Amino acid sequence: MKLVAQKISRQFFRNSQNTNVFEAVKETDFVLEEGKISVIVGRSGGGKTTLSNMLCGLLMPSSGKVFLDECDLYALSDDERSKIRNQYIGIVPQGQTGLSSLTVLDNVLVPVMMYGDPETKKEEAMTLLYRLGIDDLANVYASDLSGGELRRMAIARALINNPEIIFADEPTGDLDDETTQIVFQLLRELADSGHSVLMVTHEKDALEYADHVFEMKNGVLL
Amino acid sequence: MRIAWTLSINNIRRKLFRSFALILLVLCLSFAVFAGGMTIMSLQKGLNSYTARLGADVIVVPNNATSHGAVDDIFLQGITGNYYMSGRDIQKIYGIEGIEAISKQFYLTSAKASCCSSRVQIIGIDPETDFSIQPWIQDTYQGKMGMGDIIVGANINVPLSRTLRFYGNDYYVVAQLSRTGTGLDSAVYTNMATIKEMAANSVTLLDTDAFNSVNIDTAASAVLIKVKKNKDAETVADDINIHITKVEASSSRSMIASLMSGLSGVSRVIGILTGIIWILALVILMTVFMMISNERQKEFAILRISGASRKILFEIMSMEALLISSIGAVLGILIGLVIVVPSASILSGMLQLPLLMPGLMAMIMMIIGSFALALLATLIPALWSAHKMTKSETGLLLREDA
Ligand SMILES: Nc1ncnc2c1ncn2[C@@H]1O[C@H](COP(=O)(O)OP(=O)(O)O)[C@@H](O)[C@H]1O
Ligand SMILES: [Mg+2]
Repeated sequence: MKLVAQKISRQFFRNSQNTNVFEAVKETDFVLEEGKISVIVGRSGGGKTTLSNMLCGLLMPSSGKVFLDECDLYALSDDERSKIRNQYIGIVPQGQTGLSSLTVLDNVLVPVMMYGDPETKKEEAMTLLYRLGIDDLANVYASDLSGGELRRMAIARALINNPEIIFADEPTGDLDDETTQIVFQLLRELADSGHSVLMVTHEKDALEYADHVFEMKNGVLL
Repeated sequence: MRIAWTLSINNIRRKLFRSFALILLVLCLSFAVFAGGMTIMSLQKGLNSYTARLGADVIVVPNNATSHGAVDDIFLQGITGNYYMSGRDIQKIYGIEGIEAISKQFYLTSAKASCCSSRVQIIGIDPETDFSIQPWIQDTYQGKMGMGDIIVGANINVPLSRTLRFYGNDYYVVAQLSRTGTGLDSAVYTNMATIKEMAANSVTLLDTDAFNSVNIDTAASAVLIKVKKNKDAETVADDINIHITKVEASSSRSMIASLMSGLSGVSRVIGILTGIIWILALVILMTVFMMISNERQKEFAILRISGASRKILFEIMSMEALLISSIGAVLGILIGLVIVVPSASILSGMLQLPLLMPGLMAMIMMIIGSFALALLATLIPALWSAHKMTKSETGLLLREDA
């Protein structure tokens, strides 16, 4: 699947002395190619997360359009767009994102529970957890996990529906070197098997795995 | 649906303090609504059944029947006592103008009864003229009470032999009446001839003159009067009080009016209190939901990433609210049933009003009503907070610092 953004921008309203409108992402085009890893680097506050949120269907651009193949994402209803996110787009967000009252296994199965039967994907979930090295934590509650374990759980959750497009916002932020390599390798394999991957990161190592590298500075994509 | 169920169940189980506080709140709410509603309904039913049954416009009792207390007791509680007026005085009542129907009653307290440990009130009625007790008796017994027959109130234990012993004679129980919630439930009813026999026996057996030299054959304890259509009950009562010195007449309208206003006052207070409790619970639940919305906001953002639509987020909120309020409401109503139903008689005594548990249908309606109100009180804040949280798109994004 091909993800194409045309002249998207995003403004936020916030109280400041000069103007209330703040442009987090300035007008830009973007193409996420199939079978490739695209990496966006840049300083904190540059607009990387905002851009990625717009591309993955979580945040409507102030202007411009985002197409998934022929489909204009933001012309869809919330129901339809949510379902597309669920089925075609895997998102590993920034920060720690476990549902504390569920076990690791249930957390990974959350995307399946929304529109289907989680029983059918249990084995796949266990395989993913195994690859990420946390299969022994399957029945532990997310509230008892460390930051790195939570991150790996979030990666498994993003991949459980075998999405064609993968967004990863600083996915290796709190992982050790070894696990970081595992994650990069996993993303590489996914790209090689035809998935489109967009990764936001600070890690220099990530550039080795990247097919395209972009830099984001003050809302401008370079 | 699956996600809503799994998440709700686990949130309730794992966030124990939060769930416990919410369930407790709903429990208190549903208890208050149920108990309050049941009390109002019981009061209304008690009074309705009682006033409907009494049917008299004016009641006349002898002066020595502790002036007003006796009439109060007859009206409010169906409690009678041992007081008698002579046949001469009663005859004078018949001479008063404006009377449509008139019926005498004769009261006797048994000294010792074979039926129960406590003393029993026996009420003698005149089947030919009675318009107060018989219509009510006819609900359970259509036959004619013969000599020696008795009918007993709901609280009287009827032995297998179906006979009760009064002053040396056995009397046959032909029927047992339905519950009224008043003192009438502990009384025994019979016809004039039978009660006069008992009274005469009591004199010979106990060798006392409980009847103050009144001739038992012509005496009566109370005279119930139905007033002619175009006549005013107050006027008739006043007439009696002016012309006959040894008796006291009271109109039921004045009694019932004060009783009714008393009841509607009590009902209104209970109703208002219940309403206040409901609104209070709603406000508290709103606050609680607002307080936990920070935590939920992050939960929602995570679900959003995994493909949850706003609709699914609403489903999750509703499911959790419904589960919590169902648990709370069931517990609250159960506690209400356990507490309110047995304490009806205590409450009745406290309020000095007849109180009668509503029937099964009314009870089921009350249960459903309290349940619905408890559900609503939780669902409204839950949906309101879900609406607030999902209103803005950026509100559903994970925050950097989160
Ligand atoms: N919901 C929001 N409301 C207002 N300002 C926002 C919001 N989200 C992000 N911003 C602002 O937009 C800018 C870019 O943020 P972000 O995309 O998170 O940057 P990055 O991911 O590159 O660190 C920041 O200055 C941030 O404060
Ligand atoms: Mg960011």
